[in-house]
Amino acid sequence: MTYYPEPVARLIEALQRLPGIGPKTAQRLTFFLLKRPADEVRELADSLVAVKERIVSCSTCFNVTDQDPCRICADPARDTALLCVVEEPNDLLAMERTGEYKGRYHVLLGALSPLEGIGPDDIKVRELLQRLDAGGPTEVILATNPNVEGEATALYLARLLRPLGVRITRIARGLPVGGDLEYADQVTLSKALEGRREIV
Amino acid sequence: MQIGCVQLLDFRNYRTLSYRPSGRLNLLTGRNAQGKTNALEAVGVLLTGRSFRTTRLAELPHWGAEAAVLTGELQRSEGTRAIRRVLQRRENGTWQASGESCPWARVIAFGWQDLAIVHGGPSARRAFIDGCAARLYPSHLPALLRYRRLLEQRNRMLQTRASAERLAPWDEQVATVGMEMIDRRRRAVAALHAELTRVYPAVSGEPQKVQIGYRSVVGEATEPAALVAALEQARPVELRRGQTLVGPHRDDLAIELDGVDARAFGSRGQQRLLALALRLAEVLPVTEAAGTAPVLLLDDALSELDPGVRDNALREIQAAEQVFLTSPEPLVVSGAARWVVEGGGIAAA
Ligand SMILES: Nc1ncnc2c1ncn2[C@@H]1O[C@H](COP(=O)(O)OP(=O)(O)O)[C@@H](O)[C@H]1O
Ligand SMILES: [Mg+2]
Ligand SMILES: [Zn+2]
Repeated sequence: MTYYPEPVARLIEALQRLPGIGPKTAQRLTFFLLKRPADEVRELADSLVAVKERIVSCSTCFNVTDQDPCRICADPARDTALLCVVEEPNDLLAMERTGEYKGRYHVLLGALSPLEGIGPDDIKVRELLQRLDAGGPTEVILATNPNVEGEATALYLARLLRPLGVRITRIARGLPVGGDLEYADQVTLSKALEGRREIV
Repeated sequence: MQIGCVQLLDFRNYRTLSYRPSGRLNLLTGRNAQGKTNALEAVGVLLTGRSFRTTRLAELPHWGAEAAVLTGELQRSEGTRAIRRVLQRRENGTWQASGESCPWARVIAFGWQDLAIVHGGPSARRAFIDGCAARLYPSHLPALLRYRRLLEQRNRMLQTRASAERLAPWDEQVATVGMEMIDRRRRAVAALHAELTRVYPAVSGEPQKVQIGYRSVVGEATEPAALVAALEQARPVELRRGQTLVGPHRDDLAIELDGVDARAFGSRGQQRLLALALRLAEVLPVTEAAGTAPVLLLDDALSELDPGVRDNALREIQAAEQVFLTSPEPLVVSGAARWVVEGGGIAAA
């Protein structure tokens, strides 16, 4: 084991806990940061703390936001008849970047995955039902990822929401198989939105 | 298509190799453990990113090497194309193959493991037909991976004794993806069958009737609903065992010679011949699907065959485009390029 001064070892440790970062990358990042000007490093540290302190989950749609309700939920120009269900805040951003969608969102904060022990009670399903009960949306667009977990989530929700009498659609599979929404380019996503089909 | 040249760096027992094979039949001979099979394997890995004899990438780089690099040039009538494959160790210690596969490059490999297609368990026959279907239909491999993930998820659901309502989204997907797989496998079997009925008698020299058919839990049904029904029926047992018991992962092929199950039929020589014929039967359909002939990697394909059968097999093999054929002892074939493999090197004989 190589010897590092304690603060260096601590940063390497911390960086390694991030997804996709192994010991070598953590070392590289640490020594990179050591060489940067103090201002720049402080800026990074401050923004890390700031996201944790100032960013909350929107109590309506569960998007990340610095105000509650979030800007989309608070925007009177957004169509309340359309509700787009996505897995993660990143997926919401991908939809927003298309510029095509003018409705509102519901972020599940996950997808069904028995292997990871994630069932309907572990994602924002109950909250979705409550929103629909309260009225407003006439169409729910299921825009979960096209992988098996996202598809299972869409199928589960479709069955669950059927008795409510809203129109339920699934965005079309122009998306790469097994691909994630987050990485889908804007054109693919706009097409997928256009070509959504009735699921029940 | 042909592979015009191959360069290897730290692949198996090859430290560095630069090899320009013939565009037709290449005969590789040499003593045991010199690198004949490794050379064929290298061509396969370069073209497809996968080995025909192991699923463990870690076995492929030269022992102790940090990476293996394979490069080459592909040729077909429309032009040439450089290809490159790098096997590298990731930070977490596992190995990763990078490099793009050429959309029209196809490899058909035969090795001793293929005997299992004829006399082994159903999983060997499923692997065989999936490989074949993947070469014919590019969407088969992604569907296969998707199906595997679905089974893992659904099995976990079964183990937690989930209700029918919670199982439904998984059942529905197993049924749609499963039926897609069954459909492509059936089409692959039909394409193989047509060629096999020509190839097998041509090589054996006897007018035997050979048949290959797909045996599925859903019988001849073509709709996902049939698989949903089969799952529903199996559910009590599935819940007890915590395992998905019906679907394409449990299907099988029936291979028959003169109406008799090939598993129970004949000598080892005959079984080898049948396994080889199954691979050769793929050449024509794959050529049609890819728009260019596949490269054939035939590892020790002629041993244990009678001399007459050997000659017939050679004639059939030479009808293909580029072929790499290994043999422990020298073979005399007119028009073939002859190579000697020794200690991780390949030299013209
Ligand atoms: N990863 C590896 N690194 C170095 N040598 C290897 C590796 N894998 C296999 N070998 C060696 O390759 C030789 C076998 O080569 P192979 O092509 O199977 O022989 P054959 O000519 O009989 O077909 C053996 O000597 C084996 O030790
Ligand atoms: Mg060998
Ligand atoms: Zn909101």
